[in-house]
Amino acid sequence: MTHVLQLQWDPPTFSVQNQRRSVNLFHSLLMSVKNVYVSQGAPEYDAIVVGSGISGGFAAKELCEKGLKTIVLERGRDVVHGEDYITEHKPKWEFEFRGRGDRKLLEEEYPVQSRSSPVNESNLHWFVKDTEHPYIEVNPFTWVRGYHVGGRSIMWGRHCYRLSDLDLEANLREGVAVDWPIRYGDLQPWYDYVDDWVGINGEALGLAHLPDSQFLPPFPLNSGEQVLREAVRKSFPERYVTIGRTAILTQPHRGRAACHYCGPCSRGCSAGAYFSSQSSTLPAARATGNMTLRPNSVVHSIIYDPESGRAAGVRVVDAVTMEQLEFRAKVIFLCASTLGSTQILLNSTSTAFPDGLANSSGTLGHYLMDHHFEVGASGDLPGLEDVYYRGNRPTGIYIPRFRNLGDRATRRSDFLRGYGYQGDARREGWGRPTTGFGVALKEQLRDPGQWRVSINAFGEMLPREDNVVELDSERTDKWGIPLLRIDCTFGENEMAMRKDMMQSAVDMLEVAGCSNIATFDRNDIAPGLGIHEMGTARMGRDPKTSVLNEWNQAHDVPNLFVTDGSCMTSAGCQNPSYTYMALTARAADYAVRELKRLNI
Amino acid sequence: MERREALKRIGVLMGGAVSLSTASGILGGCKVGPRSEPFVPKTLTAEQNELVTTISELIIPETDTGGAKAARVNEFIDKMLTDWVEDDDKQRFLSGLDQLESSTIASEGSGFLELAETDQIRILESLEAKRAQWREAVGEGTASREERPFFEMMRELTIAGYYTSEIGASQELKYEIIFTSYEGDVPYEEIGRAWS
Ligand SMILES: Cc1cc2nc3c(=O)[nH]c(=O)nc-3n(C[C@H](O)[C@H](O)[C@H](O)COP(=O)(O)OP(=O)(O)OC[C@H]3O[C@@H](n4cnc5c(N)ncnc54)[C@H](O)[C@@H]3O)c2cc1C
Repeated sequence: MTHVLQLQWDPPTFSVQNQRRSVNLFHSLLMSVKNVYVSQGAPEYDAIVVGSGISGGFAAKELCEKGLKTIVLERGRDVVHGEDYITEHKPKWEFEFRGRGDRKLLEEEYPVQSRSSPVNESNLHWFVKDTEHPYIEVNPFTWVRGYHVGGRSIMWGRHCYRLSDLDLEANLREGVAVDWPIRYGDLQPWYDYVDDWVGINGEALGLAHLPDSQFLPPFPLNSGEQVLREAVRKSFPERYVTIGRTAILTQPHRGRAACHYCGPCSRGCSAGAYFSSQSSTLPAARATGNMTLRPNSVVHSIIYDPESGRAAGVRVVDAVTMEQLEFRAKVIFLCASTLGSTQILLNSTSTAFPDGLANSSGTLGHYLMDHHFEVGASGDLPGLEDVYYRGNRPTGIYIPRFRNLGDRATRRSDFLRGYGYQGDARREGWGRPTTGFGVALKEQLRDPGQWRVSINAFGEMLPREDNVVELDSERTDKWGIPLLRIDCTFGENEMAMRKDMMQSAVDMLEVAGCSNIATFDRNDIAPGLGIHEMGTARMGRDPKTSVLNEWNQAHDVPNLFVTDGSCMTSAGCQNPSYTYMALTARAADYAVRELKRLNI
Repeated sequence: MERREALKRIGVLMGGAVSLSTASGILGGCKVGPRSEPFVPKTLTAEQNELVTTISELIIPETDTGGAKAARVNEFIDKMLTDWVEDDDKQRFLSGLDQLESSTIASEGSGFLELAETDQIRILESLEAKRAQWREAVGEGTASREERPFFEMMRELTIAGYYTSEIGASQELKYEIIFTSYEGDVPYEEIGRAWS
């Protein structure tokens, strides 16, 4: 097969070496943009996967297992499972700042990442240095990311909740944005498929709006959480306090060991007890012999072939050598995370797609969403002084959505959609307020303090056209890629919902008998902190109003699939990565079928 | 480390009763051995360092486990003052230390370190009473959180430094990193101490 390629970045002097061509970056940056046509031989790979995080790792596994020679292009360094978890099981006292982190370093080099509370001294090496990876916040937007093999699968919180038809029909029902092109029936077998591979623990509740996974045994609630659960059950029949549903093994599963309850998962787990690309999908892809994983490969843009109407391959800058390379394949899976993939698409311009590849609808970059959170309450739970817990349970409780479930009883007139809570009960430790000093103080702190319950809501954010990411017209990063400009704010619906998120938290703690109830509402709350960016290349039924179809396939470019969070048509209030896994596996299955039928 | 090797090691850890330090030695890098060189403070003067060492030990004294001195809380405090604490807090801390010394000389006729322990405790009790007043005033909105008195900082740094030290976290309190399950309703006497 011969492609005629339209390139927009190469100087006229590059040399063709097989399918990979090196060009002088310095040269190309100086050259004005030119269209160059070159002939190419057959692609070296069947598939290209961009990114090796949760979605890219899954795409790699599925495509490789289906026999496709696949190259995974990852912009960051390699991370070897186990060996590279340099802080795993390291005790507090061996950290320079005892886990608090180097304040000055954080302020100077990680000013964005350090806004996010899970970022700390023991996992900082998994987060990007903001000084090296700038972007522009037109309005505050905290973009929390890690550039390395495995992406954020290493430090994610592992909560996994299914979307339901309540979520997938919401846009249609309310006339918001566009309708999802799929329903729960389309996703359900793929959620099941993911469960079987990943291992998700939890308690089956039989809720239509939060469908059960095929669960491994759940972690137990502790005594304090049991009190909350019973009290909430009695006073609010539509509310459930259950254990967090998480991609952590409570028993050995597919060659991975069960959790050993050491606690700080985000440092990495050499036992592979939680799902990460390293523990789960990349070894499966590697075992097929079909995967080539190339770290330090910054994908700059996608090459579009106007003659075939297909994506021909990708342009890459080697992050270390700064060499420019090209890789070609029959099918491309873009899994560079929501904003990463959107940046690549926006940067892939051609005569056919002057505003970004697959953007004939003009919706690419719009409808950015996150979840809004850090609002809720905490309170002292009296009694239970004679009970404690043993082990560091790697998750907390979850309270599924109980607002706007489609019936009269749960309907709200002040906001659309809903929210769930994460939280826990625990006994206070040595950091609690105390008075005095000396032997008495030491004796007091030898015992744990009282039980304290804390719940933190995660709410749905509506898709809005004016929440948008664009490429900056002037500034580029070190690799010659225009910086992202992010302009995103919460709207009235989110702000109205937050009042209820706080009040409902207070109500539940009150019925549980809590005293000293303190509410919280992070006053600098802005999108991004939820670390659930979504929606900038949405799925939809109509090519005029969406980027992707019901198979995560670009309406405009049939061999291009985008399966990370950019595909989300609405956000739900559920942690989304599990849905990316299901959508990725489903899209890979479809793509390979279509390849075999020679449709793409 | 290969995945299989890592699993094997975790298996060993979970099967046999391995001491904490061995576990952290295997999986968390090397343990810090006894130091050969004497500690030289970077921010505190030698006198201030002695003062800090003595006061921290009065806040968390040695009992059946080591106290702040054994846990080298003074080194932690010097580290935090040098690399972490904001400049105005650092200045307030250092001048608070000096003021404690000069007011002790004025009222007692000798420096804090020369006093008998009961007199040292009496002086700290008055600082603690002032600290409590300040906390109350903050609660009522009549004092600012930014004007933290010296003893508030000293106490907080001592507590944090002690309970995150090896002695404080693993001897005074309880610290384990490998468990076979999570139990959410264990009688407290079975554990007997707070987890660090
Ligand atoms: C602390 C924390 C807690 C979280 N908790 C949860 C949770 O409980 N549940 C949940 O569902 N989600 C959670 N998330 C979010 C979750 O991590 C992400 O939704 C998920 O990782 C997205 O998967 P992804 O593959 O799309 O992106 P990522 O995992 O971010 O992977 C993207 C990869 O693409 C690479 N890449 C980016 N740009 C390029 C480029 N131009 N060229 C080549 N490679 C590129 C990146 O280096 C990265 O490796 C959490 C995240 C964090 C940080």
